[in-house]
Amino acid sequence: MWFLVSSMKVEASACGQNMQPLLKVENLVKRYARRSLAGAREELLALDGVSFTIFPGTTLAVVGESGSGKSTLAACLACLESPTTGNIWFEGKDIVKLEERARRQVRPKIQLIFQDPASSLNPRWSVLDILIEPLILKSKFTREEMNRRASSLLERVGLSPDIVERPPSELSGGQRQRLAIARALALEPKLLILDEALSALDCSVQAQIANLLMDLQSSLGMTYLFITHDLAMAGHLADDLAVMNRGRIVEQGPAEEILKQPRHETTRQLLAAVPRMIRALPELEQQ
Amino acid sequence: MRVRRTFVKWLVALGILHGIVLCAGFFAPYDPVEQDRKSPYLSPMRVHLMDVHGHFHVRPFVYSLRLREGSFDQYEEDPTEPHPVKFFLSGARYQLLGFLPCRMHFFGAGNTRIYLLGTDAYGRDQFSRLLFGGQVSLFAGLLGTGITLLMGLSIGAVAGYYGGWSDNLLMRVAELFLALPWLYLLFALRAFLPLAVSPLEAFFLIVAVIGAVGWARPARLVRGVVLSAKERDFVRAARGFGASNGYLLRRHILPETSSVLLTQAAILIPQYVLAEMTLSFLGLGVPEPVPSWGNLLSSLQQYSVLVSYWWMYLPALIMVPFFLGYLGLASSLQEREEAYKIPRSSLGSLT
Amino acid sequence: MRYLLGRLSHALFLLAGVSILAFLFTALAPGNYFDEMRISPQIGAETIAARRAQYGFDKPLPVRYVSWLSSVIHGEMGFSFAYNVPVAPLLLVRARNTLLLTITATLLAWAIALLLGVWSAERVGRMPDRLLSWGTAALLVIPDLALALGLLVFAVRSGWFPTGGMASVDFETLSPLNKLRDLALHMILPVTALVLSSLPLLVRHVRAAVADVLNAPFLLAALGHGIPRRTLLYRYALPAAANPLISLFGFSIGVLLSGSLLIEVVMSWPGLGPLLLEAILARDLYVVVGEVLFSTLFLVGGNLLADFLLYWADPRIRTESSAR
Repeated sequence: MWFLVSSMKVEASACGQNMQPLLKVENLVKRYARRSLAGAREELLALDGVSFTIFPGTTLAVVGESGSGKSTLAACLACLESPTTGNIWFEGKDIVKLEERARRQVRPKIQLIFQDPASSLNPRWSVLDILIEPLILKSKFTREEMNRRASSLLERVGLSPDIVERPPSELSGGQRQRLAIARALALEPKLLILDEALSALDCSVQAQIANLLMDLQSSLGMTYLFITHDLAMAGHLADDLAVMNRGRIVEQGPAEEILKQPRHETTRQLLAAVPRMIRALPELEQQ
Repeated sequence: MRVRRTFVKWLVALGILHGIVLCAGFFAPYDPVEQDRKSPYLSPMRVHLMDVHGHFHVRPFVYSLRLREGSFDQYEEDPTEPHPVKFFLSGARYQLLGFLPCRMHFFGAGNTRIYLLGTDAYGRDQFSRLLFGGQVSLFAGLLGTGITLLMGLSIGAVAGYYGGWSDNLLMRVAELFLALPWLYLLFALRAFLPLAVSPLEAFFLIVAVIGAVGWARPARLVRGVVLSAKERDFVRAARGFGASNGYLLRRHILPETSSVLLTQAAILIPQYVLAEMTLSFLGLGVPEPVPSWGNLLSSLQQYSVLVSYWWMYLPALIMVPFFLGYLGLASSLQEREEAYKIPRSSLGSLT
Repeated sequence: MRYLLGRLSHALFLLAGVSILAFLFTALAPGNYFDEMRISPQIGAETIAARRAQYGFDKPLPVRYVSWLSSVIHGEMGFSFAYNVPVAPLLLVRARNTLLLTITATLLAWAIALLLGVWSAERVGRMPDRLLSWGTAALLVIPDLALALGLLVFAVRSGWFPTGGMASVDFETLSPLNKLRDLALHMILPVTALVLSSLPLLVRHVRAAVADVLNAPFLLAALGHGIPRRTLLYRYALPAAANPLISLFGFSIGVLLSGSLLIEVVMSWPGLGPLLLEAILARDLYVVVGEVLFSTLFLVGGNLLADFLLYWADPRIRTESSAR
């Protein structure tokens, strides 16, 4: 199934190498402090000096096990949390230093897709309400304009426009994730952060959503930060790869190189965890 | 859904009961403060279909009561003239729903008085007093519950959403309130306030006291809901679109509290009605001559009433159908809450 | 052990908070304690001045709180204007009467609830259980006021029971055995009212807790080992169901002083209930505050007792707290 995806990826990565980086992260550190009842301060170092760059139109996959700091990274980049120290340069501006009002302007350009579509969509709302929420928050559109945009968004992600009145509980998991993507696209973001967005779906559905994402990347020039614990998935979707362990990036570079010659222990362990049949596929392709 | 239908059934039943009380002026034959000094402590009149001569009447009727020979407080029926019960007849003036002037009553007995539940020491019709008393007691319960839930919602939402020191402080205070025995606290607060006040002042006073005492438990429940709702992904997503705190609270978080608030309402309303009844029964609530279910019973504190006039006890049972209705409502609400959840991580989907 | 200390300090904190509230109540209530005393001709001016200095009325609030607290702890809770006696002994006598009623009623109610609850849980869903459910629901929807008054009416009409009070007029002249009999006769109605009002809730909780446990696999395994049913019920199932029941029991202990207010008043039983009512109507401030403090002490104490019992009875709580 993955070979369906990788052919599209080759096309997409051809462009975007000579431009300015869309996102540049420098020495990001995030510390959580907790004060226990006895008065002792417990500290959790979620991110310990993370740095990387993403160019427009490309996909960077961040791979690591649970607890390696991936979700914290996503939260910091999406402006949902503030890093303790470090810089995040987005389109040339350091968004860490911005004040709340300016940050609210930047937020729509970086959108986050969550792992569990059941919890990222309000179960009491209809599909239409969910879709137009970002539009209502961002600007003053008329009702007809918003309905029109909602329909076109649904079509773009491959959903039928007549589901608009239904609640999300009546949709399947794959449909819900498409809806989440459609909602994220409503404000025309430049960077899409996918935090384990495919992990909760069935295998066949994963492939379809991945195809959709690749489609959008080539047609809209989207940039992706793909966070996952699945090295195989990362290898087939991403141009560049970064491996995280305990808050640090231990290895990064072009995806193909890393997969062929992993240098760090963590990468090798992750690679060993991938079922052998999938690992065999790249060899099949080259024949 | 079957669960939904049960909930609606209880709601309808309660609605009918409350509706009858709301239209007390229509359903009651007489004015509740109207005295009939010639007929104190009359026992309830019996409605007959068959008269003393053995004739069957299609229209139910009553016999008027007269004093028994040689007694000064024993009554017997006067069989000389059957007085038919008339429906939809014109009677004393009243204001339907508080503002519509009206004269039509549901039933009455024309030129004689019909006392379905007897009379009290001043000859006032107990049946009419029961219906009008319901307006006072039920309204006290509903208003008090409204106050408590409003306080609980605001305090719980602030504590849960903003967290930190405000959360700590508010929850400590809530624990303090929960540590005090509720009825005692109610009485003590009532003691703190002036005792001899007009019925209107007394009403609002006790509603305020009842409402202010019980905020702690709803506040804790609301706080729990807000805490968990705050961390839900759809709230974080909305924040990612640039939503402000006010928007998040209003559109996403507070709607989650609706089921908790509804269940609490179904539990608190009967509790508060009972609290008003207790206060009024003991003379600390709504005073004479305004009837309330509580002060309707206060004459029972006299031994003579207890011995001779058993029908004065009947208002005590009026609460039973209401309690039943609210109990049914509360359990159907809890069942409904169980059924309304999204199934997690869809396995076996092929889109 | 740390867990227990934590619960103890929590309880003390609650009591401290309540005592502050109570103190503020007395300090800020309209009408001065000494103004009332001055009105009474039996108390001379020197006594008032001495008491005033003793109570330190001219000192700042926190200092007054500390001295008030220390006097309360020593058993001095102020003076009752209505009864013309110190508050503490008055409270103790009334509390004794109340406890006589409530302890009897609580023990009786729990015994009945345990039996009925377990019996009903064994037969979940079948006719006897359904009948019991309806019965408890019927009792639940009858308010305490109606129950108490109803019993009183019954007593009056039937003449079988005394209609209130704690002792007959000729109590002092009776022999010890007859005294006991007289007391018991007077207790029957209030205790019945108390038991009937608390029974539905208890039965429901016991039934729910035991029914939950009866579904557990470990019981089925024990049955498979050939353990007799009676042993199974009372030595395996009941202890496992104990957790929520112990909390409920703590609450029952907690309301020993405050739960019988209405019934005492209706039945003219000379306990804390009628005292509170009279104190309110007579604006007898210190009695009111003293009673609230006393019953809060019981409530907090009851919860604390439940915490201790839970710690002792439920091994899960012991391991949970030591793992932290």
